[in-house]
Parts: sequence; structure tokens; C-alpha cells
Amino acid sequence: MGEVDVPALRNASIDIYRGEFLIIVGPSGSGKSTLLNLLGGMDRPTSGTIRFGDEVISQASDYRLTLFRRREIGFVFQFFNLIPTLTALENVQVAVEIVDDAMDPTEALGLVGLADRADHFPSQLSGGEQQRVAVARALAGRPTVVLCDEPTGALDVEMGKQVLGMLSDLSRNLKQTVVLITHNSVIAGLGDRVAHIKDGAIVSVDVNERPRSVDEIAW
Amino acid sequence: MVNRALYRKLGRDVRQRKWALAALAIIIGVGVSCYVGMAAVYRDLDGSRERYYRDYRLADFSVDLKRAPASAVDAAAEMPNVRSVRGRVSLEVSIDLGNTPEPISGRAISMPRERRPVLNDVLLRSGTWFSGRDESEVIINDAFARANGLVPGSRIKVLMLDKQHDLLVVGTAMSPEFVYLMSSSGGLAPDPKMFGVLYLTEDFLQKSSDLDGAYNQLIGTAYDGSRPALEDTLKFIEGKLDEYGVANTTPAEDQPSVRFLSEELVGLEATARILPVVFLVVAALVLNVLTTRMVAQQRTVIGLLRAIGYGAGDIIRHYLAYGALVGIAGAVIGIAAGTWMQIAMGIMYRQFFALPKIEAHFYPGVLLTGLAVSLVFAVSGTARGAWLAVRLEPAEAMRAPAPEAGHRVLAERAGFLWRALPFRWKMITGARFRNRFRSSVSVFSGLVSTALVFAALNNYGALGYIIDYEFERTARQDFTVSLRDAVGEGGVREVADLPGVTAVEPQLEVVSDLSNGPFTKRVAVTGMASGNRLHTPLNAAGKPIVVAEEGLVLTRKLADILSVREGARLELRPLVGRRLRVEAPVVSVVDTYLGLSAYADITYLSRLVGEEWASNEILGRSAGGSARGSFFAALKEMPKMLGVSQRSRSLKLINDTMEGSLGTFIFIMVLFSGIIAVGSMLNTALVSLSEREREVGSLRVLGYTPQQVLQLFAGEGFVLNAIGIAVGLVAGVGLAKLLSMAYYTELYRFPMVVYKWQFAVSAALMIVFFGVAQYIIYRMILALKWLDVLKSKE
Repeated sequence: MGEVDVPALRNASIDIYRGEFLIIVGPSGSGKSTLLNLLGGMDRPTSGTIRFGDEVISQASDYRLTLFRRREIGFVFQFFNLIPTLTALENVQVAVEIVDDAMDPTEALGLVGLADRADHFPSQLSGGEQQRVAVARALAGRPTVVLCDEPTGALDVEMGKQVLGMLSDLSRNLKQTVVLITHNSVIAGLGDRVAHIKDGAIVSVDVNERPRSVDEIAW
Repeated sequence: MVNRALYRKLGRDVRQRKWALAALAIIIGVGVSCYVGMAAVYRDLDGSRERYYRDYRLADFSVDLKRAPASAVDAAAEMPNVRSVRGRVSLEVSIDLGNTPEPISGRAISMPRERRPVLNDVLLRSGTWFSGRDESEVIINDAFARANGLVPGSRIKVLMLDKQHDLLVVGTAMSPEFVYLMSSSGGLAPDPKMFGVLYLTEDFLQKSSDLDGAYNQLIGTAYDGSRPALEDTLKFIEGKLDEYGVANTTPAEDQPSVRFLSEELVGLEATARILPVVFLVVAALVLNVLTTRMVAQQRTVIGLLRAIGYGAGDIIRHYLAYGALVGIAGAVIGIAAGTWMQIAMGIMYRQFFALPKIEAHFYPGVLLTGLAVSLVFAVSGTARGAWLAVRLEPAEAMRAPAPEAGHRVLAERAGFLWRALPFRWKMITGARFRNRFRSSVSVFSGLVSTALVFAALNNYGALGYIIDYEFERTARQDFTVSLRDAVGEGGVREVADLPGVTAVEPQLEVVSDLSNGPFTKRVAVTGMASGNRLHTPLNAAGKPIVVAEEGLVLTRKLADILSVREGARLELRPLVGRRLRVEAPVVSVVDTYLGLSAYADITYLSRLVGEEWASNEILGRSAGGSARGSFFAALKEMPKMLGVSQRSRSLKLINDTMEGSLGTFIFIMVLFSGIIAVGSMLNTALVSLSEREREVGSLRVLGYTPQQVLQLFAGEGFVLNAIGIAVGLVAGVGLAKLLSMAYYTELYRFPMVVYKWQFAVSAALMIVFFGVAQYIIYRMILALKWLDVLKSKE
């Protein structure tokens, strides 16, 4: 059984601005996860350039990419990927450990409204709470960009909305750059800008004159 | 039921876990190879020994006497339980080859002039039997010939009693009597260069030893060769032949060569049984960890299989098949390596034991046992996993398992201690202690390999201790001259006056029967001069043994055999002189390491044998250098001289032996321990890596480098292995203690000594093994497709 190379992305050009809430929308298989992996320094493109500020990261070594992820990027995944044997606070602390000017883990948990659940293990938290811990973990290292990959995909609507509200608040109030990818176009209304991706190409980027609040959307 | 789909699943699962399973197969292979190698070489040696003893008619007993006429031999042959007897002459001689300054010790033994089958026969290796043309023909021991470059046609000078003979070598031979060639003056290792056995025609040797028509040794076979029967027979013979001056009676199993060989075989057989079990137990436990994890990973698959109609038996067979595969692979590795080991050990044994044919034979029984044992352990290692698999209810199994629930570990309840722990260590301890069985297996295998290394090093340490004790701390003489007959103070002075001699110290060795009621033992009692400085036997505490003016000092083992304590009285009957029974008090009991020693004051001992003052062994120091040659030359002229042994040579010989065979032994044990350690570390780490792929992914995303991830994993392993090493060192000390109890024999006793370096070296080796395992794990972390893991559903 041979493997066939299928390019997941081509002609995908986009600029991301400091402090914005960018939502990338596309159907499954459109290449949005690949794009996020590239942006997050988890993968390298076969051709093309990715620049972070003045730095070209598209050809960086594994080690440079690791440092890049550590200092500049915070990740939130569909499946929260918390460490089950560590408490909420300790899960945040895992990120804090390796960054020099990180937040206090308690402060990060406060940002997501879970300061009072610090001592709970993931199995003692709801899905939404777990995802919020994951957000706190992503924020704790004071990253330049928070990348979220279908952060509501494993949550019910109510919990999903909680998490989304929190992400958009972070972007608005703390001027935190947040990039969120989703297949759910309803969510797109929350972003400052919305990029549409299809068959591996970014087909359009719209600016939302009036981003909606989370209470205004439903799916 | 042959099920192709399940076989295919088996094949792919195995391929996925090939490194873990290969490591296990190798551990099993090591265990099987130990068994196969040792059991097979045991059979090779035992078979060779048995054939040799039978075909060349090793005597069941020997009786040393002063002088027995042929009629006494015939009389002995008629005694109860005696099957056959041969009279012969056995004489200690001194050989001068001209190539060494020092005289060489030898034993001359009479053989019939015409070649015919006799007891304690010889196997000609080169040359011919006596031609009869020249009476001064000699057949010499094969090892001695090779060590000294002698061939048929060579001439050697031999001093017998007080006359030197020029003998023509006509052949070289070996005999079942001298498989392990030890000179009568002792030493711990054979020295074929400095000790030779010479076979001469009976009439020539009789003439040369003032024994015309008579013998000084009877060797015989018995109908009932069991120990008690033999002892009765020997007692009977001793009583009947008393008029001929019975000096000693020896059952074959007490004969040094026979004894060394049989003790080696007993030890080999025990090791062949015990050592493999250690490896197989570790492998079974680790396999347990692996299959339990595999079943947990495959629970939905198992549920599905059950749901579509597979029976419990199918599932059990399927999971046991992993064990069977590993077992077969282990057996194949083990049989191949074991056969190599059999050959290599055979070659090693050939250096120590002069058996005619130590050939590696093929033993289907041993190989089948190896295979069976391997399968039993490997399959039982998968039993727990198979049981867990079959216990899963199909409906329940098809649901994803409940997410792993975190809970406080014991350590966290320890309050401030836990809070004081750096965060990384919290992660480490928390993660590990949550899987107790796996943690215990890690600790156990760390323990086992540490203890094995420690025990191997302890052998080295303990033997080194005995050697140091025997050749350095106890003995300070340069040479020991053995004399044919006891001499007075004048004789001692004669040695003192030899060129280059700076100090002498007389000793008297008297072979005696010591008895306490029904308990009796024949030993050599050593009479020591007061103020002894060259030979100062020490007790186990390192204090010189002081002999009182009257009474005996016994080594503890001898006191045990005789069932006496300090203050008891013994009966002593010397086997020389007037051989009168006397009573002697036991003034103290001391711990020593070699032989069954008994010490007394030389004057006291002389009186017991009916002399005013006598010595038959003179220890001395010599200036060395140019005086050495003239010292030995003069010594060779001394008719009373039986032989001379040099401490430096004995020391070098034993050290060479230590470095050679013991060095190999330690290397192999370290290698094996390394295989256990690395194999099990790798397996437990792989299992927890597979469980925690998602965690690894999360850490990598957060910006942990592979090294930092490894540190966390290594940290966990390190904690457990550190516990294993610590417990293993304690177990090692216990094992050393056990060895010192197991090797509490008449020949030697293992000291319970443990050196600091043994701890350091064992721990250091374990850290090296740990490093090797971590490196492999590091490569696996690098290769892990962590991104895919993160994006998949739990």
C-alpha cells in the first residue's frame, strides 16, 4: 500500500494582526488544521514562507520551533488534552514551568474564572471547565498568539458558548491575539475578521464591522 | 480453530510492539541460555567424568602405609566389601628440569611394566608404554609435559629419597586420579608447571624408594561404594593392616581432584537451576505489564469480537499467543546463545580439568526443557492480560473506558513535604505511584539486576579478601620448604644457613585423627613456633591467633564437625610416629577461611607425636636477587627436601585465575543484569509512553523540547529505579550473606565482606543501564507523532 501525497494547502496567504480575533472557517478537509499547525510551528510547509514579525519560521529547526511554541504560541485543542493525573492548577503550571515571565498559574485560572476549582482533577470538571483550564494553560505563558482548533467541537452548546465568550473577551479586553478555526460558520460572527478556507486555499477574508457577542449566536 | 483474521491482528500487534517484545524475548533468551548452557556443559562434564572414571578404573579408596608386602595386598583384597586391590608405590619427589632455578615438586607412582588394565590407570596421550629396555623410563603427566615443553625423548632429573636419577620420558599420559592437578603442598589453583606426576615401572620405583617387593599405598574398589560402607571398610582395613603402619585412608570423594570436580559440578547444577528463574520471573512480570496495557488499549476491539460471536476461549488463546510467541522467540535465542555458552564453558573447563574429552554434545532433553520453561513463563506472563480481556463484558467493553481519574497520591497527604517538592517532581511521583503494579515491577527488576551485579562483584571482593588474607596478611614468608622427615633444631639451622636466607620459622604438620565421641575428622594439625612472625594465622576479626603452650586452636567449621566448644577435650591420634591416642584441650575456636585448620604450639605437638621437638616445614625469607639462584641450587642438594613453594608464585597463579575466569564471569553477569535492567526499563517506559502519548503531545505543544519531555519520563523511571537500586543493594548484601552461608564448606568459607566500592560500582553500572534505556526512549519520543495524537479523540 503506497502513500499518495495530497497537498493540504496551496495558495494560502494571510496576515494576522496583533490584538485581533481572527476566525478561520472552512468545511472539514479544507486544510484549516494544517494551516493552524503551520502557524503554530508544529509543522513546516513544503514551500512558501511563514513570517512571525521579522522572523521566518517556515524553515526553522525543530529546536527553534519548540522555542517558538513555548514563547509565542498558546494552543487550545478540540480534545482538551489535559494531563489527567494533575489538578487544574498543576496543568497550568506545566506550561508555566518552562517560560521565564509566565503568569502565576492561579492568575491564569482566574482569567478563565476557575480560581476556585484549582485543586480539582480533570475528571472532576465538566467539559467546559476542562476546556477553560486548557485556555488558562494556553494563556499562562503570555503568548503572542492563542491558536484554537475547534475549541467547542467536543462541547455542548452552552459550554461551547461559555468558552467562546471567554475567548472573545480575552481578545477584546486584553488585546490578546486569538486565532480560532472552526467548521461552524455561525461562530464566524464573533471574530474581528473571518477567513474562509476551501480546498486548501484561502478564498476570502472579510472584516466584521460589528463583531457579534456570544449571546447573539446559536447553533 | 484457526482464525486468519485474529492471526493477522496478532502479527500486526506484534510488529507494532516489536522493540518491547524483542527486549522481553532477549531477557527470556538470557534465562534460557543460562539453563541450556549450564545444564548442557554439566552433562558434558559429568558424562566425560563418569566415562573417564569408569574406563580408567578410578579407585574407590586409597590406604597409605609405611610398607606393605604383596601378601598384605592379597589379604586386603579378601576383606569384606572389597572388590579388588592394587598395591603401588606413591612417592613425593623433586624434579629438576634445569630450566627453573627452583626445584619442582612431583609425585612418582608405580605402574606395571607390561601394559595391562589396572586401577587408577592412565590414558596415554603421546609416546609409548615402557619399552622394558631401560628401567629408567618414565611416563609423565600430560599437562606437566605441555607446561614445561617436555616430549617423549626428553630427559628429566628426579630426586627420589636421597638419590638423583636421570630419566627418559617415553610417553605422556593423563589419569582420572589427577583431573584437577593439585600439588600436595596445596595452593588454590593448579600449577602444572611446578607440579608433575611421574609414572615409573614398579620394580624401579620400589628399588628407588627402599620398598623392594613392597608397597606404600593400596588402592581398591568396593562392592558398596556408599560413604558409610566405605568408611566401615576403611576402618576395617586400617585395623587389620595396622602392623604395616597405616598413615592415612581416603575415600575417593575426599581425594582433592575428585572433590574439586564434584563440587564444581554440584555448584554448576545449582546455578543452572536458580539463575534462569531470576530472568524468567522478571520477563514474566514485565510481559504482564505489557499485555495488561495492550488489553486496555484494545478493549473496544475485544468488545467487538465478543459481540460478533467470538468465545471466551478465542480471546484467551489470542492473548496467550503473544506469550507463546515471545516464549518461542526467547527459546530460540536462548538455545542458540546457550549452545555457544556450552561450547565456551567447555573450553574454559578444559583449562582447569584434565578430562580426556570435554565435547559439546547435543541434548534434546535440555533443549526441550529450555523451550518448555520459556513457554511456561512467557505464557504465564500474558495470563493476567488474557484474563482481564475475557472478563470484559462485550457491551461495556465497546464503550470507551471511563477517563482516567486523578486522585491524591499518598505522598500528597504528607502535607508540607509534598508542597515543598519542586513541581517537576510532583509530576513525576504523582504519575508513577498511581500505577502500583507497574511501579512494583520496575522496582523489582531494578532490584534484581542491582543485586545480581552486586553479588557478582561480591564474589570478586570475597575471593580477593581470601587471597589477601591467605597470601598477604597471614603469610609473610618468601618460601616454604617441605621436608621428608621431621628434623630437629639442627635441621632448621641448615635451611637458615642456605645462601640468601634472612629468616626462618619452623612448623610441624601432623596429620591426625581428632575425635570427640562419635565425631571424628582427619586433619593436618599445624604446630607453630612461639613468637611466629612469618606465618601468623588470623581470626576473622583480623587478630593473630595465639596458641597456648598446651591445647589446640580449631577453626569453627572443624569445631562444628567435631561438635566441640572452647574448653572441651578432644582425642588426638597422630598418624605418624607412635600413633598414640592422647587427650588435648580445645583452648579456642576461631574463624578462618580456608581448609580445616587446627593449630598448636610446636613443642606441644612434638611431644604429642613422641618427639622432644620436631619440624617438617620450614618457612623462610630470602634476600632474593642473585642469591636466589644459589639458594635454590643449594636446596636441590638437600636430600631431606621434598619440595618448595613460593608465596609470590602461588599469589600470581591465583591472581591470574581470578582475572581470567572470574573476570569473564563478572563480565557476563554484568551483561546479563544489563539486559534485565535495560529490557525492563524500556518496556515499562514504552507502556507508560503509550498511555501518555497525549501528555507527551501536550507538553510538546506547550514548547517542551524532547529532552525536557524525556526528563519527566526519565525522572519517573529514575525514582523507581533509584528505589530498586537501593533495595537491590540491601538485597545484594543479603545475597552476600547467603553466599557466605552457602559456601561454608570444609575446603573454604566465603567471608561476609562487603566493600564500599561494590556499592558504588553496582550503582554506577545501573545508572549506565538506565542511561542506555533512556537514550532509546528518547529516540522514541522524537519519533512519536504527537500532533496526530492530540487531534484524535481520547
